[in-house]
Amino acid sequence: MKMRVKLFGTLRQRFPDYRHQQGMEVEIPDGATAKDLLSLLRISESNGAVVATEGRILKSDDRIQGRAHVNVLQAMHGG
Amino acid sequence: MKIIRVNMNKKTIRTEDVPQDYAGLGGRGLTSIMINAEVPPKCDPLGPENKLIFAPGSLSGTSLPNTSRISIGAKSPLTGTIKESNAGGTVAAALGRLGITAVIIEGQAPEGDFSFLRIDEKGDASLIPAQEYKGIQTYPLVEKILESYGKRTSVLCIGPAGESRLTAASIQSSDLDGRPCRAAGRGGLGAVMGAKGLKALIVDQRGKNADPIADPQAFKEAVKAITEIIKTNPMNAEVMPKVGTAGLVAPVNSMGAFPSYNARKGVLDGWEEISGERLAEIIQERGGNPTHTGCSQCIIHCSNVFVDKEGKYVTSALEYETIWSMGGMTGIADLDTIARLDNLCDNIGVDTMSTGVAVAVSMDAGYKEFGDSAAAIEMVEEIGKGSEFGKILGNGPAAVGKHFNHQRVPVVKGQSIAAYDPRGMLGNGVTFATSPMGADHTAGNVVGKYLEQKLDPLNPEGQVETSRELQITNAAADCTGLCFMAYEGLNTPEARKALLKAINAKSGTQPMLEDFLELGIRVLKAEREFNRKAGFTNEDDRLPRFFYEEPLPPHNTVFTISDEKLDSIFDF
Repeated sequence: MKMRVKLFGTLRQRFPDYRHQQGMEVEIPDGATAKDLLSLLRISESNGAVVATEGRILKSDDRIQGRAHVNVLQAMHGG
Repeated sequence: MKIIRVNMNKKTIRTEDVPQDYAGLGGRGLTSIMINAEVPPKCDPLGPENKLIFAPGSLSGTSLPNTSRISIGAKSPLTGTIKESNAGGTVAAALGRLGITAVIIEGQAPEGDFSFLRIDEKGDASLIPAQEYKGIQTYPLVEKILESYGKRTSVLCIGPAGESRLTAASIQSSDLDGRPCRAAGRGGLGAVMGAKGLKALIVDQRGKNADPIADPQAFKEAVKAITEIIKTNPMNAEVMPKVGTAGLVAPVNSMGAFPSYNARKGVLDGWEEISGERLAEIIQERGGNPTHTGCSQCIIHCSNVFVDKEGKYVTSALEYETIWSMGGMTGIADLDTIARLDNLCDNIGVDTMSTGVAVAVSMDAGYKEFGDSAAAIEMVEEIGKGSEFGKILGNGPAAVGKHFNHQRVPVVKGQSIAAYDPRGMLGNGVTFATSPMGADHTAGNVVGKYLEQKLDPLNPEGQVETSRELQITNAAADCTGLCFMAYEGLNTPEARKALLKAINAKSGTQPMLEDFLELGIRVLKAEREFNRKAGFTNEDDRLPRFFYEEPLPPHNTVFTISDEKLDSIFDF
């Protein structure tokens, strides 16, 4: 299925064609998890990247199927 | 290791060695323990019995990076509690290089009489009449001070709000470019400085009398290790220099915990327009500086310089908490307006957080519409003019709530919450409720734990314990002069070992990690003891009712931590 992904922090720098207003469309396999999405985008979890949708930060193994839109964020302390 | 005591009514200055009771202390540890010992808890915060204490961190002025926080302490006129508010800039390092552990302002000058306190490059202090600078705003004031004393001068000063003793008044701190754009904003300490009759503390940066380092080789090794850790930490090496603290706008909105429209919603409509990413883009497009160095010894560069469409300076640095208070709480999703408001506050000398929330409370009460940029600017300008409404606004959100007889005022012990709604981030609510400082995110901010998925922000389980742990470690860190970002980057066992090595090498003592945490507990105990003697009880460690009763969209949850759990937090 296809989903729209928006990148925050410095993550967008890794994708030269990325346009934030539109975000990027990503094709994910059935049953994909937050971890799978990051892996597909070649973003390492060890850099503090997390996936958020519908007001929640997803755990690595949470499925993202059925979500039309997610934000990929970088963990930080604040602020 | 010397303390300078200044009596403002007698105009006398006394220099003394650090008494044994305060040995080894710096920053918040020194200000809080000293206030608890020397200030009558029930005194008038704006009277002669209160003391205003400036204390660099115990590591400030050394070669250790990011150790330029100055702690300023007093009994707060905003909260009535003990208060420590710390700021970046250059003054902590300047005092450290002069071997000055603290500057204590005592007594009170006659009404309307203002002085500068200047400390020269030898560490000698003198009071200088400053009547001609009365009423002047902080930017032109610092410009004139630097003209008189040279560019290598650090300044802590007040604006008209502090002179008028408004209880949201800040103390502004000059940055590396000589701009008074860093602030000890919280607790109304600018009003205490104004009540003392001190317009500015001026410190020569060229001092060469720093306290000796007991083990220079070990210290050098620790500095090398810590520098490497900070430089390779993803947050400090990558995110902070690019988007600064404003990088939190996206995560906190994504978690539905960004208090918006005076905490009626947890997500601001159009929040992406005021995000850290958008901020960096705008600054870059206009030729400002998104990766600015604001503080001495800084290797993180989280600061920025915001310019207008013509490339002209507007403000520095636009930070997350200000973007929230002036943008989220007021419903103004426009960085140009927020930057203008930030500069107005810095110039007038008021806390951007308390002021933004005060504007939001007035909007919530129906005085103006949410999202009205022109109205917000006009309101803040009123503070500078000293009008009747400006004085109410400059006394913070509780004063505004009282004026409009409006109950939805997000304060604890009179001080506004910060940019994390207690209903969407329960642990931050615990910190706001129980911190001896009144609602204060720097006392124990849990947001990082949520983002690292170590804790669920909406599950009551573990929130009190996490807030306690953070309040203890932050109290200890606030003694060192380290900035919050650097300290957070040092949160691995290896990094903590390097930090302890630096502390031990500097002081010649051998504290262990447990002793470092024990210091945090000692500081909190002193602060709580002062507050108890001032008349505060557990009943004051509560959030306003609406956080318990009014569900916050999008999660539609309320604050669910029981009073008993809150009261157990400091069972030590």
